[in-house]
Amino acid sequence: MSDHALTEEPLHFGEGGRMLGILTLPAAPPGNARELPVFVFLSAGILHRVGPRRLYVHLARELARMGFSSLRVDLAGVGDSTPRSGLTTEQSVRADYQEIVSVLESRLGRLSLVVGGLCSAADNAIKLAPADQRVTGMFLLDMVCLSDDRFAVRAFIARYLTPARYIAWLMRRIKAASVPFRDRFKRVDLFPLRLPDIPSREQIRAAFEAIRERDGRVLSVFTQYALHNYYNRPGQLARVARVDGYQRFCTELYWPEVEHTYELDAHRRRLIEEVKRWAAGYIHS
Amino acid sequence: MLTVICPPLFFDYMRTQITLRRLAISLAECGQHVLRFDYRGTGDSFGELGEVTVSDWVEDIALAVREGLGISGSQKVRLLGVRAGALLACRSPGAVSDIQRLVLWDPVSNGAAYLQETRRVQATLVRRHSRLSRDERHQAMLEYAGHRISGRMLDEFRLLDASAYSSIPNSKLQVVSTLPVNPFPVAGVSQIVALVACNWEMDTEEPMMPQSVLLERLIVCLTMP
Repeated sequence: MSDHALTEEPLHFGEGGRMLGILTLPAAPPGNARELPVFVFLSAGILHRVGPRRLYVHLARELARMGFSSLRVDLAGVGDSTPRSGLTTEQSVRADYQEIVSVLESRLGRLSLVVGGLCSAADNAIKLAPADQRVTGMFLLDMVCLSDDRFAVRAFIARYLTPARYIAWLMRRIKAASVPFRDRFKRVDLFPLRLPDIPSREQIRAAFEAIRERDGRVLSVFTQYALHNYYNRPGQLARVARVDGYQRFCTELYWPEVEHTYELDAHRRRLIEEVKRWAAGYIHS
Repeated sequence: MLTVICPPLFFDYMRTQITLRRLAISLAECGQHVLRFDYRGTGDSFGELGEVTVSDWVEDIALAVREGLGISGSQKVRLLGVRAGALLACRSPGAVSDIQRLVLWDPVSNGAAYLQETRRVQATLVRRHSRLSRDERHQAMLEYAGHRISGRMLDEFRLLDASAYSSIPNSKLQVVSTLPVNPFPVAGVSQIVALVACNWEMDTEEPMMPQSVLLERLIVCLTMP
């Protein structure tokens, strides 16, 4: 079984081939292929390069059908890439990124890049973008967004003045009572690499301003996870980032009905269509 | 010696990725060749889950074995089947004759029970989505652990019963169980217990950390003469 519209190639790269990524290329690149940016899918937390329920695989292949190349990569310590010792998470990601750019340049020549992904991938993209002129786009799925002035009020109302909360609490109590006593204390694995390392307001602003200066574009999508933690009103990122011309180059979407890892097939399809629509802007610009 | 790892499916696939990589490295350090692969429609392999069938996956195992033997030059091959991968491994051509040993890590007892488990997970996922419309909820309930699966796949999966295991000589099978009592459906099969928390009933794709006790048991089973 293959796909005639695209090819895929595993790339071992970096020092001693320590990193692994899958390069997806359109089988028949469009005439302006060299002008189109290459998408880089960074690891979503500790999930390997396929992403939750193959989200990255489907995105990469759909984008290839439009003419875009992409690399979905395991950052060091994730999936099939070897961890780097003695570095902080941020240092390790930066070192990974240098190797990603290096291998892409050696394979594809001069580059412009769209960097991003889900959760920590989005946060990492924000930190990487300002320093690299090649980055002309970011796609940010549930990036951490700082709260705006009214966030706490909205969160309080949503949390305490919604009947659904009390119904859910009651249901949990009823359910808990039916669980055998010994099962209430099941061990849960903790993954030591999961350390909060979120971008600051300055880093968010720097990333967005850098993309604007490069005539680039940003897609950000916030889901139920963001709603429960740090984002609860459409346009909140715009208010927090306070970047001139934000509406001109940024698309900010709020999907509170969607779960963080796009658990349902319909939600993954919706996201893929949205990313395709957004990416088409690079073809038409 | 070549070991081919037949991975589990759906959320189990994501949860075991780190552990299976760690296992493959450890086996290689012991001097074994190891092949990990993704079935069609899963992981990095081509195809869509909605288009593939159990027969395709069983063929994929045979292909992986052929490729692995060709690349490594090994003469002997063992299979590690994980969860639903254990059922598929035992159904693969050559499981009865050519495969030297099949090690089964927490094998699911049969296809129908496993599908039921994925339906339970799906129900939990749908409950988490409180803002779905009635139609969206109905559509979502047709999925299995967040995936669309073809009718043919479902039919074939339901046919995977305990005969997959009983068709293999007991002497070739080795079960590694992380539960104190494993409901393995065939009597007389050697079992090793490694009491670690795999929490298979969890409804997330969050990877589990490699557990040394489990890795040691699996390595022993896959390297013993």
